[in-house]
Amino acid sequence: MVSFIKRDKNDIFNKALLNFFFKNKKFLMALRVVVAALFFYALYFGFAHPGKENLFTGALFWGIFWALFMVATLPSFGRIFCGICPHGFLGKYITRFGLKKAMPKWMQNRYIGITLLVIGWWGIYYTFPSFWKSPLTTAAMFSGMTLLAFVIYYIYKDMSYCKFICPIGTLTRAYDKLAFTKLETYTDECKDCRTFECATACSYNLKPFSFVTKNQADDCTLCMDCAVSCEAVKFTLTKPSQQLFSKFKTLNAEIWTYIFILGSIPISMSFAHGLNRTNIAENMIWNTTAVSFGMEPYAGGFAFVYALILTIFFSVLGLFLASKVLKKEYSSTFSTLGYGYAPLFILGSLGHTLESLFTKDSKTIAEGFAQAFGFVIEVAPLAQRGDSWLHYFGLLKWIGVVWALILIYKRLKLIEATKIRKIFGYFFASFLVLFFIGVNLYSGYVFKTYGAKQGGHGSHGAKEMFQSVPLKDAILLQSGKDKLSGAVCGMNLPKFYKTNHTATVDNVVKQYCSLHCLSEDLKINKLPLTDIKVVDVTSLQFIDVKAAFYVVGSNKTPTMSETSKYAFAKKEDAQSFAQKYGGEIMDFEQAMAIALKDFSNETQASDHKKKVTQLEANTPFYFTLSDPNQKDKGSAHGMHSHGSGEKRAVPTKKSWLVYGDDLQDKKLIPAMDIETFYYETQHNLKETKVQNSRGATSYSFEVPANGYYNLFAKNETLINGTLLYKVAKLEYLNASHGIEGKYKEEIKKTLHTEKIKIDLIKIKSDNENSFFYRNLMGDEIVFQALFDAKPLANAEIKIQMSSGWSKTIKTDDAGLAKFTLIKDYFPPWSAFDKRYKDELLLTLTHEQEDGAKYILTYPLSFSLNKDAYESYEYGLILLTLTLLISGFVIYRFRKNRTKPFRELSHEA
Amino acid sequence: MKRKIQNFINNINLLKVRFWIQLTTFILFVYGGYFAIDFGSKLPMFTCPYNTQSAGTCYLLPLQHQLAMPAQILLGGAGIGVLIGLLTFVFWFIFLNKAWCGYACPIGTFQDWLTGLRKTLGIRYSTYTQNQFEKLSKIKYILLAIVILVPLLIGVGAIGNDWSAAFCKICPARMISPMFSGDFSQWVIDFSTTTAIVLTALGMIFSALFLVGSFVKKRFFCFFCPMSALHFIFSKFAIVQLRKDGSKCTKCGDCYSVCDMQIKDIADDVTSTNILRDDCILCLKCVAACPEDDVLHFDILNFKAFSSTKEGFEKRMGMEKPKGAFDE
Repeated sequence: MVSFIKRDKNDIFNKALLNFFFKNKKFLMALRVVVAALFFYALYFGFAHPGKENLFTGALFWGIFWALFMVATLPSFGRIFCGICPHGFLGKYITRFGLKKAMPKWMQNRYIGITLLVIGWWGIYYTFPSFWKSPLTTAAMFSGMTLLAFVIYYIYKDMSYCKFICPIGTLTRAYDKLAFTKLETYTDECKDCRTFECATACSYNLKPFSFVTKNQADDCTLCMDCAVSCEAVKFTLTKPSQQLFSKFKTLNAEIWTYIFILGSIPISMSFAHGLNRTNIAENMIWNTTAVSFGMEPYAGGFAFVYALILTIFFSVLGLFLASKVLKKEYSSTFSTLGYGYAPLFILGSLGHTLESLFTKDSKTIAEGFAQAFGFVIEVAPLAQRGDSWLHYFGLLKWIGVVWALILIYKRLKLIEATKIRKIFGYFFASFLVLFFIGVNLYSGYVFKTYGAKQGGHGSHGAKEMFQSVPLKDAILLQSGKDKLSGAVCGMNLPKFYKTNHTATVDNVVKQYCSLHCLSEDLKINKLPLTDIKVVDVTSLQFIDVKAAFYVVGSNKTPTMSETSKYAFAKKEDAQSFAQKYGGEIMDFEQAMAIALKDFSNETQASDHKKKVTQLEANTPFYFTLSDPNQKDKGSAHGMHSHGSGEKRAVPTKKSWLVYGDDLQDKKLIPAMDIETFYYETQHNLKETKVQNSRGATSYSFEVPANGYYNLFAKNETLINGTLLYKVAKLEYLNASHGIEGKYKEEIKKTLHTEKIKIDLIKIKSDNENSFFYRNLMGDEIVFQALFDAKPLANAEIKIQMSSGWSKTIKTDDAGLAKFTLIKDYFPPWSAFDKRYKDELLLTLTHEQEDGAKYILTYPLSFSLNKDAYESYEYGLILLTLTLLISGFVIYRFRKNRTKPFRELSHEA
Repeated sequence: MKRKIQNFINNINLLKVRFWIQLTTFILFVYGGYFAIDFGSKLPMFTCPYNTQSAGTCYLLPLQHQLAMPAQILLGGAGIGVLIGLLTFVFWFIFLNKAWCGYACPIGTFQDWLTGLRKTLGIRYSTYTQNQFEKLSKIKYILLAIVILVPLLIGVGAIGNDWSAAFCKICPARMISPMFSGDFSQWVIDFSTTTAIVLTALGMIFSALFLVGSFVKKRFFCFFCPMSALHFIFSKFAIVQLRKDGSKCTKCGDCYSVCDMQIKDIADDVTSTNILRDDCILCLKCVAACPEDDVLHFDILNFKAFSSTKEGFEKRMGMEKPKGAFDE
């Protein structure tokens, strides 16, 4: 025994604080007692509160112990999870008083534990997803394992349960190899030891003094009994996974653990959870197999089996081929290179666990512990799902991949072969890594291309609406490409399926999102609708409205209306629904009357519409590039759209036609006869693409090249025999990133079109010479008005600013009009935004003698001049000051140095 | 014949050759825009894009822009773009290694010219003490951390967009480079936000320090350059290397005394073969100043392209002639 030792710098026991945490006997005892107490309390709590309201049991077992603590410590400090495990802690005492028999040979099999884990836990987890979720099953399972553990501890010696039966015993032993710590001894001191306190202290019958030469710590659970017994035991910091860089006695069960766990956790997860949430989940092989066996509810189990088979296939095939090219035996290749797979699972899982810790587990843990100790708290999760910084946890997976590739490289060094054989061997041995990368990339690709299933995964999706059903459950009676959109409003039908109605007119079936839209067609548009049907909320089938029972005014969300109306085929269903969520039971006619009342409530709005429509004749409309439906303007900084969102082959730009005096509050124009077209950079005429979404009409144009695009909308009407000719024009300068800003003069050339009679052309100044040109406050802007391609003199141009200020100017004989963009932005300094964009609207009006009126609108956006926030004066003052001061300091410094050193002498 | 060429190269007047190379690259990279020359945006040196006539872009700007993407975009595929950018950077870098600093970087060249001006004026230069040197030489890694971490923080929304390209805001090259084409529009303080004020004010202060510092201290800024720190990560993979045969070294210290970057290892270290240190600008003055045969040599792959020779040393020192002295 050694009682004093000078510890190495990298010895964790060397640091007082860490020494306390890892070695202090009393502290460890207290910690283990607390953990064991929590463990048994959670078991009791699980039996006492078997229902979903029990947060504590789940929070302790699934929030803290398994997954979080285990996954976080294994690749860092090592198996310290085992060091505090209640089974091991109590087992030591049990085994001390036990029968101390040797475990029979057949039970000394490391695959027992891992099989229990893979089949017993994960197999059931995927096949019967809800089985493990209840606190009762959790508590029952852990109680069973505890009982089993204690019996085995009692019968057999040397903590054999931990080594062979414990489902995570082999797992922790295997992943412990990645840690950056190592339990060893100071061999110089151990040389002379004849008492072997460390070995006697070890309940596992291990010999800590041999760990250095063996380059591994066998089944050591880092309980630190040996370290307490002898000072020569050290706990050193090493490079991560350093053990794996050199030889040691390998154990195939560990490699199989890596493979099995990789298959049953990350791969199965991306099959059963990831890919199963995409729109093409039905086509995935495990689902098709499950269907062909007629076992759809257990498709998760099939995913699990496929994942395991594929993982085993790729690892075995890769290592087999590697052994062939390396000209080594398969078994030695397997046991050498297989260790390279260790980081794949654990790091990916770490990222996943940390993410769920921040998004939900932190909340469950806090609330669960509060619940267990008798008070109630409500905690907000530390992060929201989708918070962008959470994505960095996803990087851990890729660190795992890189780590695995490095490990395979290092392990390959232990094999003797020629260089070229090693290169091929490396490639083959990396098959499993490539497969893992492939699965990750593939599921990313599928999500991007096919999208996530709507509301497929309850807990993950956004707040679901009561009305919504998955696409496959919705009965769609319309045909054609718009069959998913409601007949009047165009809303997504499955999304509002439970309020859907259908009716037939002229042998065409129309499907409405709600009674609201149906009644609009039936009573307001007075269409001769027959065969009217409604969805029964219970069965999701269409039933005749005459036989339906409507629950009106329940607290479930309404569709298109302020009062919710849900229909049921059976009166009992309607009654129980009304009891639960309130509301009155009515028949179709009564419900329809309520629905029509909605309309009279909305009449104000439609009156307004009418007024506007009348006004519309004279009101000019204009183009805008920002979606008027999206009122919150976060777009000021949106200039850097780094390829976000969907990528199209040809970039396109969307525009909307709006009206209204207030530029800050743009209103979409109602449907009217409008001709839209645009000229691309080379002045070729193109068609705009008209799209309708959520009642708003947008006009998109393709912007493949950089340059000026001229967009036009034209509307001609005759009002009381006189012509009203309205044009909206927009000149858009397209510039994509990463191009030379400056352009050639010819890009600027003016567009003359004969398709419109009246035109307003911005005369580009000499300064305007780059694709990134912006109009700035303080610039003088010159316009030329044209009519029939001839300069239009004396025409009025109204300038409207977004602040409401407006002014009217007149064109001169050459049709020219000038004005200066004034600075109209004086926010408080704290709200100052230098990327602020203001806009103004020019309206050119020209009336002919015959009363015909021509109106053209031209919106213009302009930005802040740099002078508004940049100052040369201060810059130069600061520069000069710094120059002077630093120059002076250097001068003084040098002066001091050049003076010869004079010794102070004190003369008597 | 081969011998002859080798001798010729080993006997060149390095200072002169370097001056002409630097002048050429300076014109090429600073005014290349006038001739529509563009080397892309991943150059491993301070060809500052704030100078609109630059024939390329310093990699640090696109790097900061790319890393500032929202995290979900950065990690969802756009990360590939960052990797490609990095690979392009490395591709450029491996050809010249740190000679990008010593031979091509316009800001480096400009500092050399300021040094030349100082010399003409007869003002002596300053040096750091070894202690100061070791401390100052860490600053570039702090700046490199700013280059990388600040954009990542923007990406996760921890700090606002006014931090974008924060390093460029404080980098003196933003002020100095446009100056070469007569553009002084960067010499301002941006008052739009507090962050902008601080960053641009720091930028102005650093520019002033740059001017004063590089006047009295050779290659003043290069000690602090994060690009140099980024270089050093990849310098092992470059195809050109500076190597030393320590067994023949007499530790005379000539190399150290000519080194603009005050790298002590060049004279002291007789064990490492690869003598390229993180501050090195691969100007090769040490090779030219070494009086021993083949002690220091500049290798292209494993071929000694430029070696120190007695003959070359004597020639450069003007030892055959009675007059004239080797300066620095």
